[in-house]
Amino acid sequence: MLEVTGLSVAYGGLRALSDVSLAVGEGQFITVVGPNGAGKSTLFKTISGIVPPQGGGIRFCGEDLLARPASDRAHLGIAHVPEGRQVFKSLTVRENIEMGAFPEAGRRHYARTLERIHALFPILEQRHAQLAGTLSGGEQQMLAIARGLASGPRLLMLDEPSMGLAPAVADMIFDRISQIHREDGLTILLVEQRVAEALELCDRGYVLETGRIVLDGPYQTLMNDDRVRRSYLGIGDEES
Amino acid sequence: MDAQILLENALNACVAGLVIGCIYGLMCVGLSLIFGIMRVVNFAQGDLLMLGAYAAFYLVAGWGLLAFLGLAGPFAAAVLAGPIVFAGAWLIHRWLVSQVSGLRTAGSLDEGHFGQLIVTLGLALILQNGGLILFGSTPRAVRTPLSASAWLVEVGIGDTTIFLNKARVIACLVAIVVVVGLWLLLDRTRLGRALRAAADNPTAATYMGINVDRAHRIAFALGSAVTAIAGGLVASYLSFTPFMGLDFVVIMYAGVVLGGMGSLLGAFWGGVTIGFVQQFSALALPPQLQNAAIFVVFLLIIILRPQGLFGRSADRA
Repeated sequence: MLEVTGLSVAYGGLRALSDVSLAVGEGQFITVVGPNGAGKSTLFKTISGIVPPQGGGIRFCGEDLLARPASDRAHLGIAHVPEGRQVFKSLTVRENIEMGAFPEAGRRHYARTLERIHALFPILEQRHAQLAGTLSGGEQQMLAIARGLASGPRLLMLDEPSMGLAPAVADMIFDRISQIHREDGLTILLVEQRVAEALELCDRGYVLETGRIVLDGPYQTLMNDDRVRRSYLGIGDEES
Repeated sequence: MDAQILLENALNACVAGLVIGCIYGLMCVGLSLIFGIMRVVNFAQGDLLMLGAYAAFYLVAGWGLLAFLGLAGPFAAAVLAGPIVFAGAWLIHRWLVSQVSGLRTAGSLDEGHFGQLIVTLGLALILQNGGLILFGSTPRAVRTPLSASAWLVEVGIGDTTIFLNKARVIACLVAIVVVVGLWLLLDRTRLGRALRAAADNPTAATYMGINVDRAHRIAFALGSAVTAIAGGLVASYLSFTPFMGLDFVVIMYAGVVLGGMGSLLGAFWGGVTIGFVQQFSALALPPQLQNAAIFVVFLLIIILRPQGLFGRSADRA
């Protein structure tokens, strides 16, 4: 569904991504993990078209994504739930969800999607008339995910949904993401720093370090890899 | 007897302030729309108002296309000045303003403000002097018998009478209708929501599939059109030259800052307040000092309530 090949991105001479390739198949749950500054968000921004790449290609459902302007990409079926939530603070909760449904696909099934969103996140129904800027961090994250779902996407991209949240809230968010994947069969691309939780959910994972994919494979392979265990999971030290 | 005259003057200043203020409010709303959505301070706003006034003038008096409408002509022309200036402003944004604003400059060191300052100031100079070449320096006016007649309202205290200039009252009503229409457009429609989302968080708006550049273009053209309608309305009761923008840009900035930058209804009330200040200062001050009174109020607001009367101390991501 999504194919990234040999992607390179630089910010003013500084390499953020070099030769990154990854593939997301229909219905899969793919996770990209890595430390701060590894280029995870840059990868997402490039897929969304906010950052132009220096080289490489991105194909989405057979279409050359780089040939389309950033504002087209939501209409093609890519929903980007950005890092730091980025809800429309001066709009109400309901208006935020309506903005998510801006693409044609979202408008067509709006009533049904809204019902689904309220089933997943009942708090958003309670707070529908509240300004999004007045929500707590966890609620804003729920709203950001709801806004992404409202577009009726084929691919849901989640950038660090656990960032800055209390562990219990983050766990709840992970539960919902997994529920969305299982019950709605939505294809998901997740970027996370909370490696253990993120890898647990995925079909296949990629490890991104300083702009390069250093390791990739199915869940089991990654969990058994010494480097992953030492650097990200904090286990394996007892063996050395 | 002195008290009687004082009361009559005060009441008349009050009503005139409200009537003029609504027209000022309309022009402020145009400026505020552009600033609120694009974060661009448009120094050419007064000159877009001037274009509106001349558009109305040519429609009614110059070429006389709308002369057949009789008394309604000047007001229909003012409203029509909106779409005319909308088209012009669309092109101005396309070729000039978009080069120094929007996503192109988002995240740059100064957010493009220096470029915007120079482009809009330059645009103001071009419009003023271009206007001088095209329209000439002779003061123009859209003459209507209504601007020389008034409705008299007895208030019932002695023989106190309030004078309502007919042209101004109709202009005021048109202004209110346009503001309400614009507010409904922004609050209730999909386009309005998209504009507000683009203003709130341009990056996230792009993720939603909104073309932020196009949203800005609509906002710039719409804000220009609204101010141009106000210019057309001003033309129905005041004579003007291509440099009229300089007088009104002061009023607009004072009104918008008064109401709180970026708040649309705040800008309208800011404009109304300026109308009051101007009319009341006319009771005590010579006409040359009316703008000085506006500035004094302006400074007081900045000192006492820098976020404006209706503004929130906005936090932008």
